[in-house]
Amino acid sequence: MGRALNWRTLRVALLCLGIGVFASCSKGPASDVDDKVTTLGDTEVTAQLEEIKGEFADQTNYDYAFVMKYKVLKVHRGKLDTDTIYVGHYNPLTPRATVADERVKDVGGTLKKFRVGDIHRMALAAPMDDFFMGGIINRYFDEYKGPVYWAHWTNPGVKP
Amino acid sequence: MSKKHILHGFLVAAFLVLLFGVGLSQPILDIVQGERPQVLEVFSAPPTEKNLRAYEKEMEDTSTIVQTVRPYMQYAHFLGLKDLGKDVLAGRDGWYFYKPDVQFLIEPWSGQEQVLAAIRAFHDTLAAQGIQLLVVPAPGKPSIYPEKFSARVQPGHGAVSRHSREMLARLVEAGVDCVDLFTLFEQNSATTSLYLKQDTHWSPEGMRLAAQEVAADLQRRGWVTKGAVKYMFKPVTIERHGDVLRMARSPQILAAIPPESTTCKQVVREDTGQPYEDSADSDVLVLGDSFLRIYERDEPHAAGFTAHLAQQLGMPLTTIINDGGASTLVRQELSRKPQLLQNKKVVVWEFVERDLRFGTEGWQVVPL
Repeated sequence: MGRALNWRTLRVALLCLGIGVFASCSKGPASDVDDKVTTLGDTEVTAQLEEIKGEFADQTNYDYAFVMKYKVLKVHRGKLDTDTIYVGHYNPLTPRATVADERVKDVGGTLKKFRVGDIHRMALAAPMDDFFMGGIINRYFDEYKGPVYWAHWTNPGVKP
Repeated sequence: MSKKHILHGFLVAAFLVLLFGVGLSQPILDIVQGERPQVLEVFSAPPTEKNLRAYEKEMEDTSTIVQTVRPYMQYAHFLGLKDLGKDVLAGRDGWYFYKPDVQFLIEPWSGQEQVLAAIRAFHDTLAAQGIQLLVVPAPGKPSIYPEKFSARVQPGHGAVSRHSREMLARLVEAGVDCVDLFTLFEQNSATTSLYLKQDTHWSPEGMRLAAQEVAADLQRRGWVTKGAVKYMFKPVTIERHGDVLRMARSPQILAAIPPESTTCKQVVREDTGQPYEDSADSDVLVLGDSFLRIYERDEPHAAGFTAHLAQQLGMPLTTIINDGGASTLVRQELSRKPQLLQNKKVVVWEFVERDLRFGTEGWQVVPL
């Protein structure tokens, strides 16, 4: 009797966990909009992360920005002439909520991790060099000479 | 139930918690925080060795429990074993070293040709525009103070920076002008502490010695005539934990070790009393890495290599400073800002010796 009860409890617990996992997987972010993403920089977009070229530099002693390629799905603020943009993110291995530091204060967001295919809502400004004085790892350097945007704020986005 | 059974049960439970606790708790924490459980990402890519390793590393880096426990474990390692983590090596007498600095000295390295090609290409591009290039490799701390790393190195040990010296010789042979700070620092290392104990970088004295040597070299070659701007010094004392200690990522370790106190000379204009500032119109452009950033853009500000080089030359300078990026990233930035080369007579290019091997993005030929 005791053993049967334990098994039943275990099965119920596993079922609850499964439902929780499923529910969590299926729901999108609560909101991709906040007062930072709608006000920082001069451009605000919802865009799909199309490519992360190579691997992020895993350097404990250097801060850097890493340029990624996006396909723009919607422009909320500002003007863009192209639907492909290149965006530099500060210390991309760090969740956006904790990425700001003494030297780079105007960055943040709610995104935890950069994954190809994900949609982001971002507050941007260009050219990046005007906003970030540090190491910029831009693996599109040889193939793309246009403006690179600086990501002030990055939230998980929803498809428009 | 006997005590023996209770003990067995406790041990089994503790063992199971150790085995599965972290793995099972993280998905629950993810769900509680409204996130997709990260554990599911193992299914998002083909199960190749590379993907699985990346997944494993990411789990380690982002696990809440690991993040919480790691600083304490690191502190325990430090107390018991003097171990400060994967990037830090504890030396003698309170000296700490950055592991890649040491690796560069003791491991084989075969990337000389790529470095040479990149530097020569940059030299030739500048020469075509009538601009001189002066290359200044900065010695790493263990190159100058190997005896602070290991008791097996005796005073009077001789040169340990074989790769850098060979590269210097090859550069000179290829017609690239260089400053040899290795010999200068070795001659002065016994009388002055040229590096910070807790940091990868040079001390204010080491930095100033380098700036004086570069200024003297530029004037000896007749590339720069001393300007008319007068600067004076303002002593400023700062206290900070060095970057090597901070790499351990354990506040407990930082709390256990007192910060290093350093007296800097801030460079101030005599006419205005304002701290030194760069000028885009200078004859001299200085490219470099965190060896130029320390004291200059960090506290106390205007007390680093470029400020002191400017003081020696009597003129403000143009700079591009890029932590860890002096091999390729500074030249890419220069390529994006070609206006910085206008009216330039000289480019001074500093990089730390370990970046010959470990420079971010390697040594690419960058068209200007």
